[in-house]
Amino acid sequence: MAKRGFLAFIVILLLAIGMLPVLSMLIKSVMVGGHFTLASYRGLLTSARQWTLMGNSMALASLITTLTVAVGVPLGILLGKTDLPFRRFFTVLFVIPLLIPPYIIAVSWFDLLGREGLLVHLSGISATMTAGFLFGLPGCVAVLFSIFLPIPMLLTMILLRTINPRLEEAGRLVSGWQGVMKGVTIPLILPGVLLSAMLVFLLSFGEFSVPNFLRYDVFPVESFTRFSAFYDFKAATAAAVPLVAVMLILLLAEAAFLRERTYQLRPSPEIGGLSLIGLGTHRKWLFASVAIAGFVIVIVPIVVLVIQSAGIDAYAEALNRAGDSLLRSLIYAVIGATLLTFLGFFTGYLIQTKALKLWRSVDSLTILLLALPSTVIGIGLISLWNTSWTNFIYSTPIIIILGYLAKYTALTSRISVAQLGQIPSAMEEAAQVAGAGWFRRITFIIAPLARRGLLIGWVVGYIFSLRDTGITMLVYPAGHETLPVRIFTLMANGSPQLIAALCMIMITATLLPAGILWMMPSIMKRKAIK
Amino acid sequence: MKKTVALVGIVCVIIAGVVVWRFAKTPSNTRVVVVYVSEDQVFSEPILRDFEKETGIKVKAVYDTEEAKSTGVMNRLIAEKDNPRADVYWANEPIRAEILKQKGISAAYGSPNAKDIPAVFKDPDGYWTGFSARARVLVVNNRVKNRPETILAYTDPRWKGKSVIANPLFGTTTAEIAALFTIWGDEQAKEFMAEMKRNHVAIATSNGESTDFVAAKQYDFSLVDSDDAINRMRQGQPVTMIYPDQGENHIGCFIVPNVAVLIKGAPHPEAAKRLIDYLLSGETEQKLAFADCAQIPLHPGVQTPPELKPIKDIKVMRVNYAEVAKKMVEIQPFLKSWTGL
Repeated sequence: MAKRGFLAFIVILLLAIGMLPVLSMLIKSVMVGGHFTLASYRGLLTSARQWTLMGNSMALASLITTLTVAVGVPLGILLGKTDLPFRRFFTVLFVIPLLIPPYIIAVSWFDLLGREGLLVHLSGISATMTAGFLFGLPGCVAVLFSIFLPIPMLLTMILLRTINPRLEEAGRLVSGWQGVMKGVTIPLILPGVLLSAMLVFLLSFGEFSVPNFLRYDVFPVESFTRFSAFYDFKAATAAAVPLVAVMLILLLAEAAFLRERTYQLRPSPEIGGLSLIGLGTHRKWLFASVAIAGFVIVIVPIVVLVIQSAGIDAYAEALNRAGDSLLRSLIYAVIGATLLTFLGFFTGYLIQTKALKLWRSVDSLTILLLALPSTVIGIGLISLWNTSWTNFIYSTPIIIILGYLAKYTALTSRISVAQLGQIPSAMEEAAQVAGAGWFRRITFIIAPLARRGLLIGWVVGYIFSLRDTGITMLVYPAGHETLPVRIFTLMANGSPQLIAALCMIMITATLLPAGILWMMPSIMKRKAIK
Repeated sequence: MKKTVALVGIVCVIIAGVVVWRFAKTPSNTRVVVVYVSEDQVFSEPILRDFEKETGIKVKAVYDTEEAKSTGVMNRLIAEKDNPRADVYWANEPIRAEILKQKGISAAYGSPNAKDIPAVFKDPDGYWTGFSARARVLVVNNRVKNRPETILAYTDPRWKGKSVIANPLFGTTTAEIAALFTIWGDEQAKEFMAEMKRNHVAIATSNGESTDFVAAKQYDFSLVDSDDAINRMRQGQPVTMIYPDQGENHIGCFIVPNVAVLIKGAPHPEAAKRLIDYLLSGETEQKLAFADCAQIPLHPGVQTPPELKPIKDIKVMRVNYAEVAKKMVEIQPFLKSWTGL
């Protein structure tokens, strides 16, 4: 009873934090003076601009999905299944762009390819040509490709570990690795690859900051502009509806065709026997290709920012101007990560154990909220909480934290699902037979066994809370701006050196906990040896 | 176990209570001021910090982003009409202040520091007061001979395909076009716009971008804000700034002052008035004149950098900003169709 009651409370909390703002926004968009009207939606299908925006959004998301899957899956196989040198290093390297706020990558490429960019100065290439490439569809695709590439890459690596090596060994008796990959491995991981493609499509479809910075008209930018430049709540909501519709269709397709198959993907019990593919004579050129790709996609943008921000003065000014924002960002990210870990753990537990009948809807809800553009959630939060009764939320950082919880619970929840799936249910059952209540079982059995997942969830929650721009920019109360928001507002006429230095500070603050987490296994191993 | 849960629950409630109390309590009316700012943060923040230092009043600010085309915070003010959170609005042009006045969001305040500011830059009822202005100027590439000296150059066949202008749906370009509608009348202004289009004017996303186009020799000239032109000149770009329409029968140069607005129902009215007084002082105008934004002081006798003409030496376009604000809303559909949206 305690279990069901508490999990029901978590569901209600999730609905209040995530769904209520979105519903409030939808209701307000169809009510004028207490009467129902669809006036805001009338222009939706008839306006040529809407179709242009839909075309642009679909083109952008499709191109990014195709490219990231086409490159990410082979890269994942190379890093997860072969004897390529420095595999762990490359894995971490390629993940870095996903951890950094997307617009920082865009700023870096702008510093390199823009009219006043380093490339123009160093090589004398026409500024019109480089800027022409950067601003518009090609630039957006290139930047977002580097950001979302780790998703299919990492999922492929994880999926490869779910395959029973005996199946591949059996295949090896009659065929080479190429045949085994084609006939056994790829078909087995295909549902997971499709899931990663869908995730990339949803995230790039809802991405706001990069298309906005690189001036490519898509629905999330339209929705933000409708709100921010015209304060047209209803039009902003209407502009977001096609986004929500496309996302719902994709989520329904995922629920119908993929979810059961991807839930079944668990690490193989014979994990120790993961057999690596020997690259033989191809090792050198494949290593060189991966190294060059890593250099161009990850090292170049960071080096550009380092060059641009060179000098202690820029960092001193950056800390002077944004030191308080950095501190605030860290505090909010820590609070957000802690609450996300808590909420995600219990949501994940609910989904994993199917403790309530609506577990599937809860899972869909968290993913829908993750995929929804930040502007939609931000506008929903303002719409719901901007009243004199709720000033203690609207006028305080609580509104920012609520935004984080609404948007990113899916991440910590899915991490918990994966971790809890590895804990034998017999553990909890044994404690139950011994008379331990549910809270006791959770506190002393499940949570300690899931501590690795909780830690990873906390770091992921921290990184995504820290890098959030879309929601925070819309809802932050006066005097509570975070570092990503400050970078955004200082971009208007701020010096490139200052912006680059702020971006470097932001990258350091983001990657530090991820780096500590990466080093933790080796530290713990050393301690154990001692 | 139940005791532990109860204890954890009580601790959580206490922590939540402390957090809510800490953040929701209303600070002393005179020690805090909340300001929403449309002027670029990089220029406005140092002024607000100086105010903090000099008065001891803590400033809490919300800044606009470039992407919101400097209207984001104004829209937030409209949203918060029934539940005002801001005390002061520092707008980077007077049109939005007029819209706030018309919507009943601002309150009248006659600052003692406003008495030397010319009447044309103040609301007659005291709902907003201008300070530190930008001029709308022509930025021209240095290789161009016989430079344009009037905005009518946009319709001159000599400049066909050689001119660029920022998107007239946003920012100061919208304001200037609305001002032309109020001066010339709808018919003449629409004809001017149509003629501009026939002369193949290019549209840039912002004044900054159109200045860059001119500096890069992609176009010969553009109508931009004086701070954009001065910024590129200080960077050593090959451009010159021309105050347009300064001849005897010309309409003059459109001036866009910053404005300070007191918000109706401001939670901290006394601190708000002190901040407005500070913004309207000659000292603030001098700081903004010598900053990178190079804004023109409206107080007589305030020093200016050499690139800037003092306001008394500029032939100013005589407009009624209230009429311009009304016209701006009225011509939105026309501008949308002009830009092809």
